[in-house]
Amino acid sequence: MKKLISLSLLTYSALFADAELDAIRAQLEQQKLITQKLEAKLNELEHKTQTQSIKIAKIETKNTNKSASFSQNAYMPNMAFVFNMGAVSRNVNNSDYDHYAIPGFISDIDSGLPFNKDDGFNFNYAEVALNSTVDPYFDAFAIFHLSPAAFEIEEAFVKTRALPYGVQVKAGKFKSAFGRINEKHHHAWQFDSQPIIYESLFGPDAISDAGVQAQWVAPTDTYIMAGAEAFAGTNGSSFGASGQNKSLYVTYLKSSIDIGDDLSVLAGASLAHGSNYENNVTNPTTIYGLDLTLRNQFGSYSSLIWQSEFLQRNKNVTTRTDKQSGLYSELVYQYNNNWSTGIRYDTILKNDTDLTAYTVDTNNLDRYTAKIDYHPFPMSRLRLQYTYDKTKVIADERKNVQEVLLNLNIAAGAHGAHNY
Amino acid sequence: MIKILLLTLTLSSMVFASLKIEATYATLGDVAQKIGGDLVSVHVLGSGKYDPHFIVPKPSLLAKLRRADLLIMNGAGLELGWLPPLIQSANNAKIQNGAKGFLDISHFVSMIDVPTSVSRGFGDVHAEGNPHYTMDPYVVPDIANAIAQKLVELDTDNRATYEKNLAKFLKEWQNYLKTLDAKMVTCKDKKVIEYHELFNYFLKRYAYKSFGNIEPLPGISPSSKHTIALINTMKKNSIKIILQDVYHEKNTAAFIADKTGARVAVIPQDINSVKEADTLEHFYDTIANRICR
Repeated sequence: MKKLISLSLLTYSALFADAELDAIRAQLEQQKLITQKLEAKLNELEHKTQTQSIKIAKIETKNTNKSASFSQNAYMPNMAFVFNMGAVSRNVNNSDYDHYAIPGFISDIDSGLPFNKDDGFNFNYAEVALNSTVDPYFDAFAIFHLSPAAFEIEEAFVKTRALPYGVQVKAGKFKSAFGRINEKHHHAWQFDSQPIIYESLFGPDAISDAGVQAQWVAPTDTYIMAGAEAFAGTNGSSFGASGQNKSLYVTYLKSSIDIGDDLSVLAGASLAHGSNYENNVTNPTTIYGLDLTLRNQFGSYSSLIWQSEFLQRNKNVTTRTDKQSGLYSELVYQYNNNWSTGIRYDTILKNDTDLTAYTVDTNNLDRYTAKIDYHPFPMSRLRLQYTYDKTKVIADERKNVQEVLLNLNIAAGAHGAHNY
Repeated sequence: MIKILLLTLTLSSMVFASLKIEATYATLGDVAQKIGGDLVSVHVLGSGKYDPHFIVPKPSLLAKLRRADLLIMNGAGLELGWLPPLIQSANNAKIQNGAKGFLDISHFVSMIDVPTSVSRGFGDVHAEGNPHYTMDPYVVPDIANAIAQKLVELDTDNRATYEKNLAKFLKEWQNYLKTLDAKMVTCKDKKVIEYHELFNYFLKRYAYKSFGNIEPLPGISPSSKHTIALINTMKKNSIKIILQDVYHEKNTAAFIADKTGARVAVIPQDINSVKEADTLEHFYDTIANRICR
């Protein structure tokens, strides 16, 4: 009905217009003549006033604009500063703890924690994070990780912002989006220690390397994201460390659905494929990962998050294929915007590798962790964490490590967005 | 001939193309729907029952942003804690900051409570001013104009429709404001306290005076010391109304009410924050009914 009316209106206006057209044409011709005459007069007058005004302008010129001629403050990148320290009490002395082993995964010469290493106070790091939009086509990010012993470029990369078809490309040194926790920085983790299976398969820095990443978000109602990454392959824990055939390829698929307003589910499957280099031979290594997160909101500041990841490594060595796997599962309850608490269970499920070097029982590698967080304000956090760790061999003995940690984390400056 | 062609195009675009709009909050989304009419489909990212500063950045929101032609946001820092990573990971060039499909409504509103100096020592203050301008019903025409202008820019072919919808809406809104003002004129008690400085635009519009906030500083949870001081202020100035939002804890307000004999009015900050606030008009009606009784 509406469409019909608008159609007839259009037709009407066309008809009336025809009838008046001639009259308007005549008027237009007249107007043009008048305009031409006026323009000529105007030009003449303008010429006169211009010559006059130049003289006046010279006298009246004043210095009113005090802006700094080359100031670029408005283009400064967003900057944030993250500070992290901890106090540790542990039933193992520091020199022994420097050389722990996780049977089948980490030998006592490769071990060593990057954070909260020593009994007593630990200054872990001060991190500077910068980000800026480069131009209409790129965003740039850099995270400089400064620990007492080293200056490290933790991440520095550029990301496209204008590619079509839901594609985005990242290049530089960055953390892989493998699994759920790999991409997150230490201070964004729910627990202060890295999950055992991540530490065992990837080492303390996880997959963080120079390379490129392409991600695609499907144009569907349900969130589906597929990504592929290619890295230089400097991760020595599972992949070559000698300079031979080091390339590492990662691919993953993630999806999420909402069940009502408050419950959301995120699931992902990941794969990392590269080469290991042992006894002067290069062989393939493949790591599979599955992750599942359920998050229920009880209000703006209260939620329950259940997050689990399973990882399996198939590592071909000269005569056999080592199959090792493990998982972690954590439950975190956010009570309000000040308090949250959580528990985590870590375990090694399969450890099918050469364990003859160990004279001790290598079964039942588990760890239990519990924590309470206090946030006086969103930018600061105090964390009390208790760990009961049954994964360690120290000085050729299975040692059940107990640890209490009090950690302080501060994020000042540009507001980092909240994690899902 | 051209006219027929244009008409066919217009008609077919009516049938097929609908501009996909994502609005960060329901009030902005509702105005967009009124201006866009059948030519747009609107989805709202942040539910009115949550704190607008702390919308959970669920991955499902990425799927919505991925296909959006236009993102309408409140701005002034209100979405700072949740929207930027969503925009970065939605892989949609159309809605990047600076692109044509990115609309920050705060650029079209004159802000109040703009701080002269900013430090996180003052709590979670917004350098741009108080971001909760949608509380003022007189700002609605600014929002409508900004959205109409953007829709015309994105979809010039349907300019006439958007302008017609805008004119119709503005006229209706002027009438609505008259009835709302008539209601507000009857309010005599103009002294209140708030939980957070969430309602300042409404309070300023109708000449209310706020004597303090339950939170000691923006984003900081109540402390007993501050609460006692607030109770004393209320007694001294005989303040009888406590404006509480829907998403903060309500125990402190109940405690203060108990000590002072004041009334707790739970005020919505968005459409659907509370049941009665189910339309734009009902949203402001609910505020009026609850603040002034």
